[in-house]
Amino acid sequence: MSVRQWKYERPFTGSLLTLISGALTLWVPLNLIVKAFLPGTVSVIGIFFGGMILLLGAIAMSFPQFSKVLGIITIFLSILSVIGALGGFLIGTLLGITGGSLMIAWNPPAPHQKNDDQNVAYTGYESPELVEAK
Amino acid sequence: MGKTIELKTTINKGNMNKKVFWKAFASGMVVLAALLSFMGISGTAYAIPMAGVGNFYVEFDHLEGNGYTFYPKMGESSKEKSAPQGTNLIKDLTIDHLQLYKDFNISGDKWIRVKIAASKPVHISGLQQDASVINADAKFSNLALKEKQSSDWQKQFQQMSSTIELNHAKIKTHYLFQEKIVMNGMKVTVERINKPAN
Repeated sequence: MSVRQWKYERPFTGSLLTLISGALTLWVPLNLIVKAFLPGTVSVIGIFFGGMILLLGAIAMSFPQFSKVLGIITIFLSILSVIGALGGFLIGTLLGITGGSLMIAWNPPAPHQKNDDQNVAYTGYESPELVEAK
Repeated sequence: MGKTIELKTTINKGNMNKKVFWKAFASGMVVLAALLSFMGISGTAYAIPMAGVGNFYVEFDHLEGNGYTFYPKMGESSKEKSAPQGTNLIKDLTIDHLQLYKDFNISGDKWIRVKIAASKPVHISGLQQDASVINADAKFSNLALKEKQSSDWQKQFQQMSSTIELNHAKIKTHYLFQEKIVMNGMKVTVERINKPAN
């Protein structure tokens, strides 16, 4: 399987933006917790949100069939990450909303039908075929 | 003559529904705007880091707080990587007439001051402030100063009190962090000044 083919079979751009958003969201509270380890700090909530967004990006890459529901959760967590993580200085939140929207809008490739009477297992990739050159 | 055979591959692509994308994106932005305006209206900002501003001044008329802890440390300032400072931790506090300001030398003898002031009492939870100079009239209850055997010098001395009251304070601050701050009547100004604060 080629890299190009692998990318086409999943919401690649949306997942990638979600991963970047998660990393940015995680970066702010991780810095805060090193500098200001206060008991019950909201930074812990920030770390949770950042970690979850990162995880959602990774899941969307591996399980593209769940991209719509993962997109909705990504948008929800990206907005909430403003609390406790400053939404990765808001850049993380904006990337999360964009990535989540791309995941929601993504549709898997239509199954290829070779013949009406031939059931081909869907892989998103059409197997090589021999064509007669003219 | 034999027939020429060539190998042809095609890839099925996933597609994106632009209409759905814009709907989801707009919904996200609306919810984000609602959350930000709610935070603005309630005057609440969560986890505000002011690290890196360095060597700024905090002035206020009156402070009342619970759960005070102080210990010495070496910390970063705008001029030095490592400078002697003291960390002040206060669990909950209320400050009257708070002013925070930082002076910047823009060129030669030209200075500007960025000032954040609150006309109404400021409520803070989970304050950490690293300061090198504290000038104030102080009042404590259940004040305890204790030494502790530790290889880490920062843990060898601690000052603690159940309540703290400071009046007419001017604090040279290097790091300020609040878990939660409510600043009603906040005003931010940037103005020219003749000479910086000392």
